[in-house]
Amino acid sequence: MKGWLPLAGISLLAALAGVSLWLAGRHAAPPPMESGPVDVTPAAIHAARFTDGEGASQSLGQFSGKVVVVNFWATWCTPCREEMPGFVKLQARWKDRGVQFVGLAQDDPAKVAAFARELGVNYPLWLGGAEVMDLSRRLGNRLGVLPHTVLLDSQGRVVESRIGIYAESVLDSRLAAITGK
Amino acid sequence: MQACLRAPAMKSARLLLAAACLAGAAIAAPAGSDDPLEPDQAFRPSARLVAGDAMAGPGRHGIDIEYRIAPGYYLYRSRLKFELSPPTLLVGAPELPAGIEVDDPFLGKSAIFRESVTIHLPFAVSVARPGRYKVRITAQGCAEDRLCYSPFPQEVVVNIPPGYRVTDSPGLPR
Repeated sequence: MKGWLPLAGISLLAALAGVSLWLAGRHAAPPPMESGPVDVTPAAIHAARFTDGEGASQSLGQFSGKVVVVNFWATWCTPCREEMPGFVKLQARWKDRGVQFVGLAQDDPAKVAAFARELGVNYPLWLGGAEVMDLSRRLGNRLGVLPHTVLLDSQGRVVESRIGIYAESVLDSRLAAITGK
Repeated sequence: MQACLRAPAMKSARLLLAAACLAGAAIAAPAGSDDPLEPDQAFRPSARLVAGDAMAGPGRHGIDIEYRIAPGYYLYRSRLKFELSPPTLLVGAPELPAGIEVDDPFLGKSAIFRESVTIHLPFAVSVARPGRYKVRITAQGCAEDRLCYSPFPQEVVVNIPPGYRVTDSPGLPR
């Protein structure tokens, strides 16, 4: 009669583990997806011009020599805003190890500035017109979705181009692999 | 095991075993493809000419744009834009349902559409010449908790056949 106790215990543990995993899976964002083929040269990536919060013209070429994480985002894109606190932490962690984050958006400058203040964004958030999404598409974002994150090596070559939320821990590991640090 | 399960005291154990099986099944169930849909697959518009017929109701003339929205996707109400050529045939603002109100911690309150929505464009059917009319749409939406589509263009066509007449039928329910 007492033989049922181990069975019940194992079943209970299995059920708890199963339900926990199921719930975790429901709430965890799906991993980012590889995007399509890249159709832009490192020189063109470096030359593309955007506008910073003060209205000054900026380009990615100024970060030549660093690994650059280019994040295409928008204030109206909830998944974009969800992943950005992780980017803020990573920028702080990697800033002295040759990694630079940059956010690119085709958006309302006032909303971008308000969001940057609210979140305490510690990397440049640049703006542009249709050329922002044009560059995103040429960097493999065929569907024109956000967020889209591109990792450039120190010479501006595309190492990775992904759509969807990029989890902090996963990106941290990728940066370690790319920089060898 | 058989003896074990036959015992009356095994009811609880069997329930727990069933729970474990259900949990396992939930984990094993396919979650579907992770690839996001093309915008035209996630948000499928179609157009229908309405001219006071039984479905539209008397006096209600124009074009109904019906969106079929894939499960897990939504459209932003305020981001939908419609253009028609010539624009003078649009004799009023698009009529959009209220939608589902969402409260964004950063952007405040807005409305979205899920599953399906019909938007009425007050198109001057009675003065339009027979022919094909293209409605150019700009839409914006998201896949829940995953990603969002930057504004994307779509196009639907309505055809006014030769001899088409507005068929207002007073008394029909709207």
